Amino acid sequence: MSVRVSRRSFLKLGAAGLGASSMAMMGFAPEQALASIRHFKLTGSTMTRNICTYCSVGCGMLLYTRGDGAINVIDQVYHVEGDPDHPVSRGSLCPRGAGVLDFINSETRVKYPEVREPFTNEWKRISWDEALDRIARHMKDDRDRNFETHDDKGQLVNRWLTTSMVAASACTNETAYLTQKIARALGMLVVDNQARV
Amino acid sequence: MKGVNHSFGSAPSGIMEPPEVLLPQPDIFARRALRMRELAEQVPPLADFLSFMARMVQAQQQVLDGREPAWRPTPGAFDVALEHGMPPLSAASLRRELDWRADLAALLDALELHVAERQSPLLEALRAKTDDQLEELAELILEIKPGTDADRGLLPFVAAAMQVAWARLALALPRTPERPTGAARSLCPCCGSRPVASVIHIEKDRQGVRYLHCSLCETEWHLERVTCTTCHKGGQLHYFGLDEADGKLALPAQAEACGHCNSYLKIVPREFNASAEPLADDLASLVLDLMLDEQGTYARNGYNPLLIAG
Ligand code: SF4
Repeated sequence: MSVRVSRRSFLKLGAAGLGASSMAMMGFAPEQALASIRHFKLTGSTMTRNICTYCSVGCGMLLYTRGDGAINVIDQVYHVEGDPDHPVSRGSLCPRGAGVLDFINSETRVKYPEVREPFTNEWKRISWDEALDRIARHMKDDRDRNFETHDDKGQLVNRWLTTSMVAASACTNETAYLTQKIARALGMLVVDNQARV
Repeated sequence: MKGVNHSFGSAPSGIMEPPEVLLPQPDIFARRALRMRELAEQVPPLADFLSFMARMVQAQQQVLDGREPAWRPTPGAFDVALEHGMPPLSAASLRRELDWRADLAALLDALELHVAERQSPLLEALRAKTDDQLEELAELILEIKPGTDADRGLLPFVAAAMQVAWARLALALPRTPERPTGAARSLCPCCGSRPVASVIHIEKDRQGVRYLHCSLCETEWHLERVTCTTCHKGGQLHYFGLDEADGKLALPAQAEACGHCNSYLKIVPREFNASAEPLADDLASLVLDLMLDEQGTYARNGYNPLLIAG
């Protein structure tokens, strides 16, 4: 291709450039335009490409968040639309996916690990470290208690049937691969995926 | 939308298949002029400027409709380029062939009765230029250079004539070129020029799809949404818009700004206003450029030949 691509040939269109611009040289005074800045407010939003987490179709989404990515600003998603460039969904979303905004901003959305201890009716927030430690403890105890090396006929099986795993639909191929590896390495046979639902 | 054909009939595939490249429509300038007049009323500080530009764009339509150029490419002239993904109307190689100077003369004639006192010396100055001098002005435009103060006021007229000459050829192309790939994704597949701005269309077969609009030949080509038009990354795209003091949306144009390379190109979503048009709405949203320049983070990457900064 003979065309030159120069990434850095940006153009300056500011107050100084406008004073000497073709507009000024053609006899149109730029003062009014410059003064009119005061009448407007600059608004910023950020757009992010994402995949719907609800089912295995995996439709493409564009998420609009308020704010221009400035540090220390908590962004809030305020609009969601189908991604017209997504090869699977080409801009369409089913009612479930189209309603994802309410899910994102829901008061009852789970944003951190919580535990309801036995014999209580209250959810208590815990740290990720504590949550992972406790899950690991439960898994280890259950596996130590119930792991079967041989079945009734004495055949080697090495299986763990008392715990199962449900994986999430918003996962990449790589996540799915690791999920499978970990579950099978533990001897877990009952594995399902929310994407199938 | 393409259908799926069976032996017992056909069914719509149901999936949108937007065209990759859109060649200009024959009434491109008339529609732009209409939009500019609309914007002249909406943006009082630019009213005079936009009204004048509306006249100029209307004159472009007149020249496009009324003049048969002295030179037309032979049928099949662009086959090789089209086949090999080269821009068939490459600005650099066609500049000497096209009689855009005759288009300029016709444009000046069409404007004659409409210019105010302040602008008529510009027409005289252009008429007094020799062919070589005009070619120098054309070169400034193709190389995106500001030129001298004296020349700068003449450049938009020259650019307008060149737009007519190139749009005429783009209109007559036997088929559309393929969309550009790789590093050339943001350069026009017809003539290799830079875009003025992006537009998001609303028609059924291209709803929500973004196209870049050429600054020279008026062709549009698809570039995925949420992709920087300079560095082609997609992770940090911010959209700046203009609100009135009372919070109402002032104009549909936004600046699509990239946090990776700190450049921006205007983007005009037509869902806010179906008649919005990239070149006209870019001009009318000049305040957005001024505000972003004041803020200082992002540099402009769009080239609008009807407003050349000094
Ligand atoms: S829930 Fe709907 S929008 Fe989400 S991936 Fe499935 S089909 Fe697509």
